[in-house]
Amino acid sequence: MATHDLELVNIHKSYGAVTVLQAINLRVQAGEFIAIMGPSGCGKTTLLRVIAGLEGVSGGRVLLQGQDITALPVNRRNTPLVWQSFALFPHLNVRQNIAFGLTLTGFARPEIERRVGEMAVMLNLESLLERRISQLSGGQKQRVAIARSLVTKPNILLLDEPMSALDPHLRVRMQGELKRLQQTLGISFFYVTHNQNEAFSMADRVVVMNQGRIEQIGSPAEIYNAPASHFVAEFVGNNNLFDGEVVANDGQTIQIRCPQGLIRATVRQRSHPVGDRVTVVVPADRLAIAAGGAADNRLQATLRAKEFIGSQVIYFLETPTGHEVKLIQQQSFGDSMQVPVNTELELVWQLENTILLGERSLDP
Amino acid sequence: MANSTVKPTKAPNDASWLGALCLAPAVIYDTLLFLLPLIFLVWIGFWTVDNYVMVPGFSLANYSDIFQQFFSRSRYGFAMGQSLWVSATTTLLAVVLCYPFAMALAFRVPARWQRLGILLAIAPFWSSYILRLYAWQTLLNQEGLINSLLLQVGLIQAPMEIVFTQTGTRIGLLHYLAPIMILILYLALKNIDTTLLGAAQNLGANRWQVFWRVILPLTRPGVVYSAVFAMIISLGDVLSGIILGGGTGRSVFGSLPLFSTMILNEYAASTNLPRTAALATLLIVIMVLVLLVGNQFSHTES
Amino acid sequence: MPPVLTASPVKTPSDRLLALGASLYLALGFGFLFLPLLALVLFSFEASRLPTLPWTGWTLDWYHALWADGRLMVALKHSLVVSPIAATLATILGFLAAYTLNRFNFLGKRLLSIVMIVPLLVPPLIMGVAFLGLLSRVNLQGKLVSVVLTHGVILIPTAIALITIRLAEISRDLEQAAWNLGATEWQALIRVVLPLAWPGIAAAWLLAFTFSFDEFIIAWFVSGFEPTLPVAIYSFMAFNLDPSLNAMGTIIFVFSILLLVGVELLVLPMLLKGRQQPGSEAG
Repeated sequence: MATHDLELVNIHKSYGAVTVLQAINLRVQAGEFIAIMGPSGCGKTTLLRVIAGLEGVSGGRVLLQGQDITALPVNRRNTPLVWQSFALFPHLNVRQNIAFGLTLTGFARPEIERRVGEMAVMLNLESLLERRISQLSGGQKQRVAIARSLVTKPNILLLDEPMSALDPHLRVRMQGELKRLQQTLGISFFYVTHNQNEAFSMADRVVVMNQGRIEQIGSPAEIYNAPASHFVAEFVGNNNLFDGEVVANDGQTIQIRCPQGLIRATVRQRSHPVGDRVTVVVPADRLAIAAGGAADNRLQATLRAKEFIGSQVIYFLETPTGHEVKLIQQQSFGDSMQVPVNTELELVWQLENTILLGERSLDP
Repeated sequence: MANSTVKPTKAPNDASWLGALCLAPAVIYDTLLFLLPLIFLVWIGFWTVDNYVMVPGFSLANYSDIFQQFFSRSRYGFAMGQSLWVSATTTLLAVVLCYPFAMALAFRVPARWQRLGILLAIAPFWSSYILRLYAWQTLLNQEGLINSLLLQVGLIQAPMEIVFTQTGTRIGLLHYLAPIMILILYLALKNIDTTLLGAAQNLGANRWQVFWRVILPLTRPGVVYSAVFAMIISLGDVLSGIILGGGTGRSVFGSLPLFSTMILNEYAASTNLPRTAALATLLIVIMVLVLLVGNQFSHTES
Repeated sequence: MPPVLTASPVKTPSDRLLALGASLYLALGFGFLFLPLLALVLFSFEASRLPTLPWTGWTLDWYHALWADGRLMVALKHSLVVSPIAATLATILGFLAAYTLNRFNFLGKRLLSIVMIVPLLVPPLIMGVAFLGLLSRVNLQGKLVSVVLTHGVILIPTAIALITIRLAEISRDLEQAAWNLGATEWQALIRVVLPLAWPGIAAAWLLAFTFSFDEFIIAWFVSGFEPTLPVAIYSFMAFNLDPSLNAMGTIIFVFSILLLVGVELLVLPMLLKGRQQPGSEAG
């Protein structure tokens, strides 16, 4: 009957005067890959541990497939966790580690062997089954940790920054494999990370957390293109934020006067009457240096610094009003845009690339 | 929409009945067999003896007896002084002798031999203390090996008396304390971040300065622990004082027994438990004072 | 990383002097530590009553004398019964206490940890008198079981200390991972914590056994007519300074070598962990 694999209702957790989690409401669809993203200390790992039952709550409920598990002890929840440290048992070999969850309840030997074999095939561990944990590489350990968690056929898998112990190039490869695994299995993945690339590349939906609260929930595209709050706009992507006041709104185009200048945007969902204070978000990669021709928005700024990061260049500019503006440009071979520092430039961008903050509401 | 749970839930590592159950045996054991005897001991100190039978009560008779005779007949006071003197000098000696040994082990012995080195250093601890003292006695007495060797070589004219002096006691105590003190100091020295030593040398410090200003201060807690350990063991030790000290070993202050020896002999001679208990309580008080002083030393700098 | 003080590339004269001095001091130190042990072994085979040089001849008489005089052997038997039992008792109770202190968070935990160590700080002399006082009231003095019980008091903190060191090395994640995978607290304890903690448990037993086996003063007050080995030796010494004591010492020394093997395999790795092996496993 229930279509949600996991439901968090008004989760609240505090130690005395310190609040660690506040008003957490979230519904994870069946078979959804959901990523929880946020800076260190935002509460994402605590939330994970709350779901697993390793930590208690001060208020609220946790429902697994419609069943209230809030008061259920850790070992009865079947919410296996892939630990950041992998937490593989050093005194057991790979086979015994994977089989661990099954050996606790009354599974018969043949069934255990069968399931372990299944997992080994799925995660490419067949040749490693008799190895000791200390003989494994980081990537292998991660796969054993995943196999161990999946062997009890849970409905949801919890993952706590499982990539942080891996080399960068291995991470990229594992991201793809993890996503494929999730889709093959058809179960929900609840993935905690502070890394934006991981979250965006794998997740169906992303939850951005800050200081114990949820800032925004949405698809990666939504989070990226329509940040709901100041924090999200600054945490995700590379955005420029301008605070201003609405001076004109004709139903199609809206004009906002900011200290930096007059900015135009397309009217989208919320209607902002004249006089409203809004924050305008312009992604740094949607700005361009004026090269003649028409443009919806223009801004004067002086180039202060440049930063090369491989395939892109970040330009740091300063408006006459003293505000910082960032521009990101893809580096093409033979680019003649060798702009010297302290040049005065005109930046242009299109109407539709102006985002108003908070246009999408928080949808659990 | 259903109500949210108002009751907070517990985490697995919050206090629980399982924890209490696991802790209970040890706590009950200690209460019955540690606290109880000690409290009882202090109370017995206030009992009296009438016709070889102990009489419960609250009387200061034992303590007044003890303090009346403190410096005269039974010379408890002198014995206490002797104990404090021997213990203090032993502690000093032990620290001064063991520290360089630990340093030599930690810094001069090649890495792959160090494990063997420390194993050998603590090895004596695992053989019998009383028999080691017996061996020392046979080695140090007037017909013993040490004396005969020194006589043969001509370093001395007449056999030295080591047994029956507190020097003998100190040797015995040192032999008991050394393995453990070396271990404590070795661990403290190994704990020093070697990059700090490199940094000091890099800033121009010579060997002596590196020791005095970096190594010594950093190992201070270890030194204090081992010194307190040595002091407490020495004050409570009975065997060295009897086997090597001869019971009333001669020291700078004269041929006086140690307080611990006194307690043992008291009991053996009179089986007056209340009196013995009172003496033991006195020793507890002295120990607590020593601990407090030691605590002060380890807290003056962190 | 090599110790910095020996890593200086320039071998100045003072370096050489220091190296020589260190070697000499170590030799002297080890000599001091092993002299009595050497004497025990050597003179247990010497014919003369007075253990001294020059050598008077080899003999096994003292071993025979030891065997013939049953007292010491009986006491040895007593000790070999008392000490393993006391060590086992202390290790079990100590493990339970150490596990609880390591895992749970509760009010007063800090204080309780310190309080549980206190019995080690009270000199056995005082404890001996105290035990005598209590045990004589409940008519338990002079029995071997009293030695087991009283030794337990100082052995439990020893076990707690050593097992705590080992438990602290085990990542908290591991027990929690076991629960997460479905283990009850008991299952996690037996299948994950115990196997990983056993070096500490074994080390604790070893140390506890040694403490008990060698313990003189409490046993003197408490064991009465069924003396343990150290107490019997003490009485023996009071009457005859007999080289058969050398024989006893040698036997115990050989026995202690066995214990030392255990120390080398169990205790030292725990105490020296992290200081000897540079670099953790590859990621």
